[in-house]
Amino acid sequence: MMFTDFFITIGHRVISCMSFFGGLSNLAWQTIYLTFKPPYKWQRIFEQAKKAGYESFPIVALVALFIGFIFALQTAYFMQRIGSEIYIASLVALTVVRELGPVITALIVAGRVGASNTAELGSMQVTEQIDALETLATNPVKYLVVPRFVALSIMLPVLTLYANIIGILGSYIICVFKLGITSSMYMHVTFSALLYKDLFTGLFKSWIFGMVIALVSCYEGFNVEGGAEGVGKATTRSVVFTFIMIIAADCFFTALFYFIFP
Amino acid sequence: MIFGKTKLELKVGIFVFVGLVILGIFILSIGGFKTWSSGYHINLNFNFVNGVKVGAPVRFSGVDVGEVKKVDLSFIPQENRSNVRLDIWLRNNIKIPADSSVWVNTLGLLGEKYIEIMPGKDYANCLKANDSLIGRDPLPMHQIFNRAENILRNLDDGIAKIRNKEGSLGKLIYDDDIYNQLDALVTDIRNHPWKLFYKTKEKK
Repeated sequence: MMFTDFFITIGHRVISCMSFFGGLSNLAWQTIYLTFKPPYKWQRIFEQAKKAGYESFPIVALVALFIGFIFALQTAYFMQRIGSEIYIASLVALTVVRELGPVITALIVAGRVGASNTAELGSMQVTEQIDALETLATNPVKYLVVPRFVALSIMLPVLTLYANIIGILGSYIICVFKLGITSSMYMHVTFSALLYKDLFTGLFKSWIFGMVIALVSCYEGFNVEGGAEGVGKATTRSVVFTFIMIIAADCFFTALFYFIFP
Repeated sequence: MIFGKTKLELKVGIFVFVGLVILGIFILSIGGFKTWSSGYHINLNFNFVNGVKVGAPVRFSGVDVGEVKKVDLSFIPQENRSNVRLDIWLRNNIKIPADSSVWVNTLGLLGEKYIEIMPGKDYANCLKANDSLIGRDPLPMHQIFNRAENILRNLDDGIAKIRNKEGSLGKLIYDDDIYNQLDALVTDIRNHPWKLFYKTKEKK
């Protein structure tokens, strides 16, 4: 009996994992198809864009500024020892634009917007509002998922741009006012280290992250079972899965870009 | 006052617009440092460029005035040799005399390669766009090492001879004879300083 339990557990895990990815990709195809199919709900997209982008800006800006401070100070510790403080500028620029900007922004937005999406759709699901939408001949994916998907996939790159410039500003403040690097020198080193591919691979990643956040959070919201407790569980699962998938996607695309744009 | 729908759209619009402005700043700052100001291209021909890459700086009188835009390798059948053509971009206000000498220089011993242009005297005859100049080939690293090795080998041989007490230097250092004679001479002179003023009778 012990052995059969063991295999049942493994089988259950594998099947639930596969049904998660199956359902997610099903939702993804539907969403992409419905995104390009008129009518376009601009008003709903704007509402979600405000919620995801505009209202996330303060916290993204704050975190990016602190990341800039921290990164400059932490690298200064070693760079001062080998007497090359000026390279802090290029190091921060590359790290923030290529990696930290997109990923930190995505994690903040996943925690802030993804969780609220799951909770919102989840409580609509448990109060049967989604079924009501279907009886009104409204496709719930078109009405609920597409605006979130479009808004997040546009707003996350925009937020990432803000995070990039603010992160560089944070390190600029430390370097110029604390480490005595001149302002024009800092700017010159920053932008001579950056290439177009650094900026655009970062933005591409954040575009992917935006879509991942929207799809996972909406999928979890649609699949809530039970009452209020189910909504709580689904929200937790949504945030955890989104974090894992963001980091995994980040790893995948970083490796991919490393090999295709050497 | 703006209400409801328009206010929402205004907020999102401003937000995205500022984001696009930041994107523009990034794009212009990354790419625009050099290509903003206008300039012209000239060609430099080399046999060997020691690993110059696209983007390597060009220095005229030791000042950065442009960069390498393209590196072309072609074979010239008539002369039976390969030719490296460097496409160089220079700022507009830079005048390069036609008799300037051009070579590939290195920052430090193994550092970054750059193009050094030493100005000539012929300012009446300056290079125009798309003109060509023949560069002096840098010495390949292995030749420099070869020369250094030759010099060291010669030195080594010399020192070996000295050690083996061959040649006058070897004898001077290792042979006590000359020391003993000098010592005797000095002692002799000290004891009999008058000998210095004494003209020896040469014996016939």
